[in-house]
Amino acid sequence: MSHASKRRRCVLEEGSETQSVLAVVEEDTSSSSTCSSSFPSSSSSSSSSFYPLILSSPEEELNDPSQGPSQNPPSSFLSPTAVASPMSQSEDGSSSQKEESLSTSEALPNAESLPRNVINDKVADLVEFLLLKYRTKELTTKAEMLNVVIKDYQDHFPEIFREALECLQLAFGVDVKEVDPSNDSYALVTTLGLTCDGMMSDGETMPKNGILIVILSMIFMEGDCVSEEKVWEVLNVMGVYDGTDHFIYGEPRELITRVLVQEQYFEYRQVPNSDPARYEFLWGPRAHAEICKMTLLEFLAKISGSDPRAFPLWYEEALRQQEERAQSGITTTDDTSAMASESSSAPSSSFCPE
Amino acid sequence: MQGSTRRTGIMTDVHRRFLQLLMTHGVLEECDVKRLPKHCDKVHDCNATVEKPEDFINNINSVLESLYIEIKKGVTEDDGRPIYALVNLATTSISKMASDFAENELDLFRKALELIIDSDTGFASSTNILNLVDQLKGKKMRKKEAEHVLQKFVQNKWQGEKEGEFTLHGRAILEMDQYIRETYPDAVKVCNICRSLLIQGQSCETCGIRVHVPCVAKYLQSNSEPHCPHCNDYWPHEVPEVFDPEKERETGMSRSNKRSLRSRQH
Repeated sequence: MSHASKRRRCVLEEGSETQSVLAVVEEDTSSSSTCSSSFPSSSSSSSSSFYPLILSSPEEELNDPSQGPSQNPPSSFLSPTAVASPMSQSEDGSSSQKEESLSTSEALPNAESLPRNVINDKVADLVEFLLLKYRTKELTTKAEMLNVVIKDYQDHFPEIFREALECLQLAFGVDVKEVDPSNDSYALVTTLGLTCDGMMSDGETMPKNGILIVILSMIFMEGDCVSEEKVWEVLNVMGVYDGTDHFIYGEPRELITRVLVQEQYFEYRQVPNSDPARYEFLWGPRAHAEICKMTLLEFLAKISGSDPRAFPLWYEEALRQQEERAQSGITTTDDTSAMASESSSAPSSSFCPE
Repeated sequence: MQGSTRRTGIMTDVHRRFLQLLMTHGVLEECDVKRLPKHCDKVHDCNATVEKPEDFINNINSVLESLYIEIKKGVTEDDGRPIYALVNLATTSISKMASDFAENELDLFRKALELIIDSDTGFASSTNILNLVDQLKGKKMRKKEAEHVLQKFVQNKWQGEKEGEFTLHGRAILEMDQYIRETYPDAVKVCNICRSLLIQGQSCETCGIRVHVPCVAKYLQSNSEPHCPHCNDYWPHEVPEVFDPEKERETGMSRSNKRSLRSRQH
C-alpha cells in the first residue's frame, strides 16, 4: 500500500544509516497500521510535516509483541539516534565519519536533519504536556516548554511546536493562544463552537446558550466583570432562581458557577478583599476566543430596538476586538448568530442601556 | 496525496468534543458516547449518519495512535457498566495524577493502592490507610489532612469509597493498568475470564480462581446451575443480572446514583 512506499522514500531522503536501520524494521511490519492518512496535509509545506504523526506505533516499530509500548517509552527511541543529534546541530561538518554521511543529503533543508522518529516523540511529549495545561487551565511559557519537554532539542523547538499545534487542533480542537508576547506565555483554549455542547448534565442535554449569552452580555456591558448579585437579579427576571431547578436550565448555580466555568466560558472568582466573600463573573478564555463582541453588540442592539452605534463605548470596544483579531489573523468560529436566534426570547428590559 | 485512504473526514468536531470532555471528566460512560453525536447532529441539523460507539472510538484512536494515546474501554467492576478513559501508552507511572497532587499526596495514593491490591476484598479501610500517614514521603501530613486527600481522590475519580473503605475507581484501573502490573507483579490479581486486572470480584472456594462480578454474570447468564469456570464446582456466590443499558433507561435511574460504587454483593 502506498503507506509503505512513503516510508521508504523517507529513508532515502534522510540518508542516515541509523535511520535506515529503523526504517527496515518499520517496513517489516504488517500493513495493519490504520493511521496512514489520519492527518490531512493542510499546508503546502506538505506531507512531510505530518510524517511523524503517521509513523507506526511503538509496538509495530519494535516488531516484538511481548514488549508492550509501556516498556519502550519514547526515550528508548533516542538511543540509536542520540549519536545523530549533536551532529544535526552543527552543520559545519567536521572530521567525524558519521557526520559526513549525514551531510551528504544536501537536498535537505538544515532544520530537518533531526531524525523523524525523534521529532515524533518530542511532538507526542509536547502534546501531552499541553493537554495537561488545558485540563488544569494553567498558562505555560516557551521557557517551560523548553525545559520540561524539549530539553536537548531546543534548536528544533519551532518545528516541534508547530507540529504539536497542528496535532492539538486537528485531534482535540484545542488551540494554543499567545497571551503575553513579552514573556512568551500561552493559554490553551478550545476552538469548538457553542453548538457542539451539551453533555455536562444528567438526563437530556439542555440549551445552555440562552443563559450563557445573557451573562456574557452583562459582563460585556459592565466592562469585563459583573458581580454575582447583579447576575442573579437579571436571572430572576427571567424566572431563574438560585437553588431552584429550572425546567430548562436545571440547577442554575451549578450551571453558571461550575459547568460553564469548567467549559471556560466564565471565570468565577472572589472579589478581592471582600469579606464576607462576594463573587464576580468575567469572560473566560473560551468566551474571548469564540465570541465576537460585535456580533454580541448587534444582537443586543436588535433586541432593544436600536443600533450598535447607539452604544458608543461598547461599539468602540467591539471595534477594538475586531482590529486585534484582524491583526493576529485569528479566525474564530462565530456561533453568536446561532445563539442569537435561540435566545431571542430573552427579555429586552434587562438590556436597556442606562 | 495518498490515494484513496485519505481520511480527512474522520476527525470532526464531535470527536474533538468527546476528547475534550474525556480529558475534563477523566472517564465517560457508554451512554455519553451515544448521546453526544446525536446532540451535535441535532444542533447542526446535518444528515451525517451517527457512528456506532465502537467505530466512533476506533476512529479517534486511529488518529491518536501516533501520539501514544488511546481511549481504552473498560467495565466497572461492581455493576458492569462500560466506561472509557484516555490512556497514555508511553508512561508507566501514575503521572497523570502528578499534576494535581503534591508529593506526599501521591505517596498516600501509592500506599493506599498497595493496601487495596493486597486485600482480599479489593477495599482498604480508611483506618488502615490513615495509619500509614507517618510513612509518607514529602511534607508531613496529619490524619485530618489525609482524610481530605482521600476525598479528593474520590472526587477526581481515582478511588471509590463505600462505607468508609476505599477501592480503585474504574478509571484508575484503566489508566494505571501497566503501572500496577509492573509495580506489584506478585500481588496483582487477574480475572480468570477476561484476563484483565482484578481489584474487586468473587473467588472460587475450591480452586481459588478469581473473577469479576460482571464477567461471571455474563458467563453464568444462561446457566441454571452456576459453576466455576475453572474447576466446575458449584458457584456459591450470588450473581447479579448482566448490565443492560436499555433496562436502566426504562427505570429512569439517575446517573448520580450510579456514580457511587454500590457493590451488589458482599
